[in-house]
Amino acid sequence: MVAIGDGVISQLRRGVLEFCVLALLRDDERYGFEIVRTLSEADGLVTTEGTVYPLLARLRKEGVVETTWRESSSGPPRRYYRLTPTGRSLLNAFAAEWVRFRDSVDTLLETGALT
Amino acid sequence: MTTTTLHPLATDYLDRLERAAHRLPRGDRRELLEEITAHLSEATHPGMSDAEMLTVLDRLGDPEDIVEAQRPDQPVARRGPGAVEWLTILLLLFGGFLVYVGWIAGAVMLWGSRAWGVREKLIGTLIVPGGLATALVSTLVLGTTQNCVSSFGGPERCTGGPSSVHAIITVAVFAFLVIGPLCSAVYLARRAR
Repeated sequence: MVAIGDGVISQLRRGVLEFCVLALLRDDERYGFEIVRTLSEADGLVTTEGTVYPLLARLRKEGVVETTWRESSSGPPRRYYRLTPTGRSLLNAFAAEWVRFRDSVDTLLETGALT
Repeated sequence: MTTTTLHPLATDYLDRLERAAHRLPRGDRRELLEEITAHLSEATHPGMSDAEMLTVLDRLGDPEDIVEAQRPDQPVARRGPGAVEWLTILLLLFGGFLVYVGWIAGAVMLWGSRAWGVREKLIGTLIVPGGLATALVSTLVLGTTQNCVSSFGGPERCTGGPSSVHAIITVAVFAFLVIGPLCSAVYLARRAR
């Protein structure tokens, strides 16, 4: 069996992961641990949970998400993340592009041609 | 930061993360530590078994990798050595041949440069003061330590001549004096930013 380069998959994952985070925040604000655990329970999306936090920090700096502290019933306050209007339009743009991309790749993989 | 009690393995993990994160800007470091601390207090409790704890930490990943993931958006412009940096490196290597003045100029440029950190500056200066010229000078010095005495027509008696131990030490020192500056030149070239 031929092993596909680890680099290819991890690059793909890295490129797509931030939009998965945005998608998780589409309808609700969520706190860090909630985002991380949801992502890591999806098959093949996240290999190391800890690296999602730097991604969240970057998204915040880019103005794609914003954060607020909220009291928690079970411990210290939590930092909640939610989409900004920029983040929402970025997510929509990606979702449209992703469908085209996925359909083309799927068609190629299944039929070996773009019919 | 929270005062929640954590499992000793979690505390240990946070210590390692803190150490790995020292190169991040302060704000980023604080935020990262806050988030990972929050993660650990959500995912674990102090009474957890070590095995369960290790599973959580394993999923979280290596502290170094987490810090590395934080870095790409930092403008750590590692552009490599420019003309001034190359001149500095060349002066440190060969400047010693100009009655050492060249090396001193190189060292001054090295310490005045913003392209290297203190660690690189120390290595560049201490390995080896004078650069390659030091190898030449020390060969001349070591090569003339042989004293020969000839008493009234008798055979020459030599002291301090090349015994085998002496020869080995000489070769080792010489190798260090040649390889050391070359290695630190390569190191400086690679670390310049």
